[in-house]
Amino acid sequence: MKWVTPKTGFDEVFDARGQARPHYAALISILESFTKEDVERRERLQQLTLRNQGITFTVYGEKEGLERIFPFDFVPRIIPAAEWKGIQDGLVQRITTLNLFLADVYGDQKCLKDGVIPAELVLSRKEYKRALLGLVPPRKIYTHVVGTDLIRDDRGQYLILEDNCRVPSGVSYVLENRNLLSRVFPEFLGAYPIRPIKDYPTLLLETLRFMAPRRGQNPVVVVLSPGIHNSAYFEHSFLAREMGVPLVEGRDLLVEGNHLFMRRTHGKRQVDVIYRRIDDDFLDPLAFRRDGMLGVPGLINVYREGNVALANAPGAGVADDKSVYAYMPKLIKYYLGEEALLPQVPTYLGGKKDDFKYIAEHLDQLVVKTTGDAGGYGMLMGPFAAAKERETYLAGMKKNPGGYIAQPLVELSTHPTHIDGRFEPRRVDLRPFILYGDRIRVLPGGLTRVALRAGSYVVNSSQGGGSKDTWVLAPREP
Amino acid sequence: MILSRVADGLYWMGRYLERAENAARLLMVSEELSTEVLGLDENLARGEWRDLRSIFPGFPDGEPPSRSLAALASTSLRGLSIDPENRYSVFYSLRKARENARSVREALSLEVFINLNETYRELEGQTRRALADPAAFRSAMQSTHRGLMSTVGAIEHTLTRDAGWLFLKLGESLERVFRTVVILRTKLPALVATEPTVDLPLFYSQWRSLLRGLSCLENYRKVFGARLEPIDVLQFLLFDAQTPRSVRYGASAVKEHLDRISSASELSQPARIVGKLAAELSYQGHELIRDGQILSFLDHVQAELGRAHDALSTQYFGT
Repeated sequence: MKWVTPKTGFDEVFDARGQARPHYAALISILESFTKEDVERRERLQQLTLRNQGITFTVYGEKEGLERIFPFDFVPRIIPAAEWKGIQDGLVQRITTLNLFLADVYGDQKCLKDGVIPAELVLSRKEYKRALLGLVPPRKIYTHVVGTDLIRDDRGQYLILEDNCRVPSGVSYVLENRNLLSRVFPEFLGAYPIRPIKDYPTLLLETLRFMAPRRGQNPVVVVLSPGIHNSAYFEHSFLAREMGVPLVEGRDLLVEGNHLFMRRTHGKRQVDVIYRRIDDDFLDPLAFRRDGMLGVPGLINVYREGNVALANAPGAGVADDKSVYAYMPKLIKYYLGEEALLPQVPTYLGGKKDDFKYIAEHLDQLVVKTTGDAGGYGMLMGPFAAAKERETYLAGMKKNPGGYIAQPLVELSTHPTHIDGRFEPRRVDLRPFILYGDRIRVLPGGLTRVALRAGSYVVNSSQGGGSKDTWVLAPREP
Repeated sequence: MILSRVADGLYWMGRYLERAENAARLLMVSEELSTEVLGLDENLARGEWRDLRSIFPGFPDGEPPSRSLAALASTSLRGLSIDPENRYSVFYSLRKARENARSVREALSLEVFINLNETYRELEGQTRRALADPAAFRSAMQSTHRGLMSTVGAIEHTLTRDAGWLFLKLGESLERVFRTVVILRTKLPALVATEPTVDLPLFYSQWRSLLRGLSCLENYRKVFGARLEPIDVLQFLLFDAQTPRSVRYGASAVKEHLDRISSASELSQPARIVGKLAAELSYQGHELIRDGQILSFLDHVQAELGRAHDALSTQYFGT
């Protein structure tokens, strides 16, 4: 088996001299014991398993929403215990802050009055739901499930790239990747003390039940999905199955007398907690977008009355806005009196005059993103874009400067990835999942997304990305 | 008690699975019969394909009469096997079954989904060109049929016997008895009109094929032996109490599922319709054959099953 070591940047496996890092040594020796034919046979089995089990996502914009297999690379990413500790502490700090920030902007708005972050910037976000001002969600928690995107720069420093506080997806692939790897390459797993992740659905259910408004009863929890054509439908169905709760769509629910019910073959049943995988705007046509046919008319009223809990809380999206992101280090300091444990990427705000000027002048060095979008849509990779493309993009920015942010291109770390019989470096990121119930729990693992095209920086599944199993190692016995 | 939408999805999954299985089986049987009789009686072979097209009416209207028998056979085979546009093709039904399964996957077991998904993927991979070869066609249909059987087996062996299971079986049993009635209604007029004088073996081939099309040949032999008497075959397919594809057995199965779904206190409208039908089949069927009213009776059964479907959709799915 041939290993191609990278020329530049930080590689997860090989150091600058091309030597394998110690925590990868065992894996490499196992991999080297396989012949090319062995590996090919295993890969075929892997493909077949993915296909037969229907582990897919849907790509929009293609004919009838094509179901695709999420490409899986079998070379796992390994994170040593000490490294993970740093990530975990940083994430707990960050999630704590995000929730304090949300409680503040929907409450007394102290941070706005104190000028920590411009009021105009926060209040003008379309994710800021004015209608929810003064409404305190159950247990004062806004973000029950967060998926935070981390990258590593050319020195190997972990950086926060993005917080996803709305309906982060990918955790089903985290779990399925582990299942798949242990089926296809069982030899790998015995060689390392890998922290288990299988109990995620149990923890998720506990997190959801923790918010139930009716006390002392067995709360009815449901997963609310936009339906079979949504790109993450597999995950919605997977989580419902794993938690043993009903998967519902908007049309299955109805509001009566300020309570929420689901329609069943023999009468209705009250619902206490919704793990919703629908965007705010489509939750309730009476409260938000009128054409939101996926949701439930009157749902927000029931929520307002405290008769149903929603995870994540409506309005939480304002916290992961890309321009609010720029203020996170200040907000951490403001709420917790601490320095941010995990650094983030320097960010220029289109809405700031000086910043905009800088962005316009350095467009060929920057990555520009629209503040509201996710999934790699609406983005400009300045260094790789043609001059013409940059011009057109800039013209669009001028119409709504506040809707854009820009960041220097970060040289993502690379990880050996099996491509056509060789192990080649490909860029990766990391999305750990964090649950917030009775306390904040970080799932020891996460989704490592990999840009399968040589040289590419874009890891999104919708744009040719794949994923890897991600191992967090248990601390060694003292 | 389950969500109405989930009940709806499971019901249709059951119907489409059964429909796919029926279509695959009948295709294999028709293909064999038409091959068998082709050199002897071209009209018989032609009739076989026509019948199949009216049992599974998914072809565009107005079939050009000038078509050769070979063309009729090959378009029928292709249309009812892999044509994604034909609403009665095996592929179409499989795709619908899988779509419904995906929409209610949390109500199913992994085994059920994997079996169905694999069967679907395999047929999806078939091409027109490959299936033009008769041997390849037969083996592809057999493989699909086997896949469907193992899906049904997984349903039988892994699913909880809750309301969801009942709706799945309700769809399956309703589709099954409905299709049996349609098959009989389509085939009987020609069969009954044929005199067994001209060519005895050929005459019996058709009745044998009818039984095989309903996968009842072996079941029939267990009761009546190898001798095929039209009146016995009819009796058997209509009123046998033990063979799963007789009309009587089918109606009773639908009734049983509806009774179990109904709440204890009150008889639902669909349960009433099917209960009456099952009683007619059990207690007054035999006179009908004697009185030559069999075709109008079949029409009546078909209409009542349609009413039952409408009533249960309103009652349980809110559609």
